[in-house]
Amino acid sequence: MTVLDARAAPVAYGTARLLAGVTSGRPADLARHREHHGEQRFNDQAGLASLADQVRLLGRGGAAFPVGTKLRSTPYGAATHVLVNGAESEPASQKDRTLMRLAPHLVLDGALEVARALGTTRVTVAVHDRLAATALTAAVRERRDATHVRVVVQDGGFVSGEVRSVIRSLDGGPAVPPGRRVLPHERGVDGAPTYASNVETFAQLALLSSLGADRFAEVGSPEEPGTLLLTLVGDVPHPGVVEVPTGLPLSVLLPDQDVDPRPVLVGGYHGSWVSDVSGLTLTRPALRAAGLPLNAGVVARLSHDTCALGEVAAVSSWLAGQSAGQCGPCYFGLPTVARDVHELWRGQDPGVDLLRRVAQLPGRGACAHPDGSAMFVRTALATLAREVEAHRRDGTCGRPWRRELPTGGAA
Amino acid sequence: MRLEVDWTRCNGHGLCARLLPERIALDEWGFPLIADPSVDAALVRPARQAAAACPELALRLVPDPASRDDVSRPQQEARR
Repeated sequence: MTVLDARAAPVAYGTARLLAGVTSGRPADLARHREHHGEQRFNDQAGLASLADQVRLLGRGGAAFPVGTKLRSTPYGAATHVLVNGAESEPASQKDRTLMRLAPHLVLDGALEVARALGTTRVTVAVHDRLAATALTAAVRERRDATHVRVVVQDGGFVSGEVRSVIRSLDGGPAVPPGRRVLPHERGVDGAPTYASNVETFAQLALLSSLGADRFAEVGSPEEPGTLLLTLVGDVPHPGVVEVPTGLPLSVLLPDQDVDPRPVLVGGYHGSWVSDVSGLTLTRPALRAAGLPLNAGVVARLSHDTCALGEVAAVSSWLAGQSAGQCGPCYFGLPTVARDVHELWRGQDPGVDLLRRVAQLPGRGACAHPDGSAMFVRTALATLAREVEAHRRDGTCGRPWRRELPTGGAA
Repeated sequence: MRLEVDWTRCNGHGLCARLLPERIALDEWGFPLIADPSVDAALVRPARQAAAACPELALRLVPDPASRDDVSRPQQEARR
C-alpha cells in the first residue's frame, strides 16, 4: 500500500511562494508568516476582482473558474458568507491539507481579505482533515482579527467535497450535491449569497494582495501567472506536494518519460491518462486545451513494477463506492463499469458493453462524479491499450498490482 | 425549450420514453438517455405531457439557457 505522508516536507521548484518559509515541513506561526509575507493589504471588491483579472487567477479546486468574475458576481454586504472549501476529498490529493497545516495564516489572510472586500464578517473554513482543522483553529486563536472565523470539520467521501455538498452539510443537510443547480453566490450557506473557493485559491489571493499584480506575475506563464500546487504520486522524483511556477513543462516533473514512457494520470481520479507528455505545460488553460484538465492538481505516474490495469480497476471500484447513491445512472452505472474493468483485468472481455456504459455516464448526475469517472476509465482504456491486450490474450501482463494509486483503503 | 432531469429524483419509471420517444430512450436500468435535450415547437406538446406524467416530477421543460449567457457560466462551475 502506498502511503502518502502529508507530513513529508513539500518541495518548491523555483520560487517558493505559497510555501515560502515552510518547505522545512514546520508550520509557520503568525510571526514567521508575517516575516515571509509581510503585513496584510486590503482591497475593495472591485479592486480585488481587478487584481484577480490582471493575473488571470483561476480557482484551484477543480472547476478553474475565473476568480475575478466570481468576486464581482457575489453580492456585497453583511449577509454574504465567505466559504473556504478545504474538504479535499480525493485520497491522492494532499495540497490543500498541506497548505492548511503548514501555512494556515496565509489561508486565513486570503479569507479575511475576501470578507473585508465583500463587506462581511461571516467566514467559514470547512475541512475533512483533522490535523488541518487543528492547525487552522490554533491559527485563528493566535490572531486578533479572526475571532469571527468558524472552522468546521466535516466527514464524507469524494462527492462531499464539492462546494454545494459542503454548503448543504453546513446547513445541517446530507453532504451530497443537491439535484437542482444552485449557485453559491446566489444561495449558499444559510441560504445567503456565498463566495466559495478552494483553500489554495484563498492563499493565492492573499499573495496577490500583498505582492500586487506585477510582482505576482513575475513568476510563471503569462497565460496564468504565478505558481501552482500539485500532488505528485507514484514513480516520480518527489512524491508529495510541490509548488511549481506555471508554464513549467510537465516532463520536468516526470524525467525520462520520453525515453521510457509509463502511464501518467493528469488531474487525479476525475482526470485523464496519457503516456506522451511532450509539449504539455503546467497551466490550467493549456492542459484544458490539450484535453487534460488539471482539476485539483494530482499528477500520478505508474512504475513498471505494477499492473496498470489492476490500478485502474481498483480506482474504478473506489469511484463506484463514492457515488452518493442519489442518481440512478451513477449508482448503477459506476459499479457495472468497475465490474467490467475487473473482468478485463482477469482476462475476460466485456467487449463493447464497457465502452457503451462509459459513454453513457457523462451529464447524467447531480454532480460531475459520473462525468469525471467516465473520463478516468475511457482514457485509461485508450492509453493502456497494450496492457489491456495482454490481459485479454494471456489473462495477465505478468506484473502484480502494487497499489501505487491510493484509495484510502476503501477499494 | 429544453429537457432537464433532476437525477436525484428520477427513479427510472420510464413513462417519459414512451411519451417522447423522439428525444428519450432508456438505458439498461431504465433511466432516460437524452442525446438531444432541445425541444422545438413541434415537440412541445408531447414534451409537456412527458414532464407532467413523471411520477417523481424529475423531468422538466425549461427555457433555453442560451438567452441568459452570463448566468450560465457559474452554472457550469456548479457542476464542477
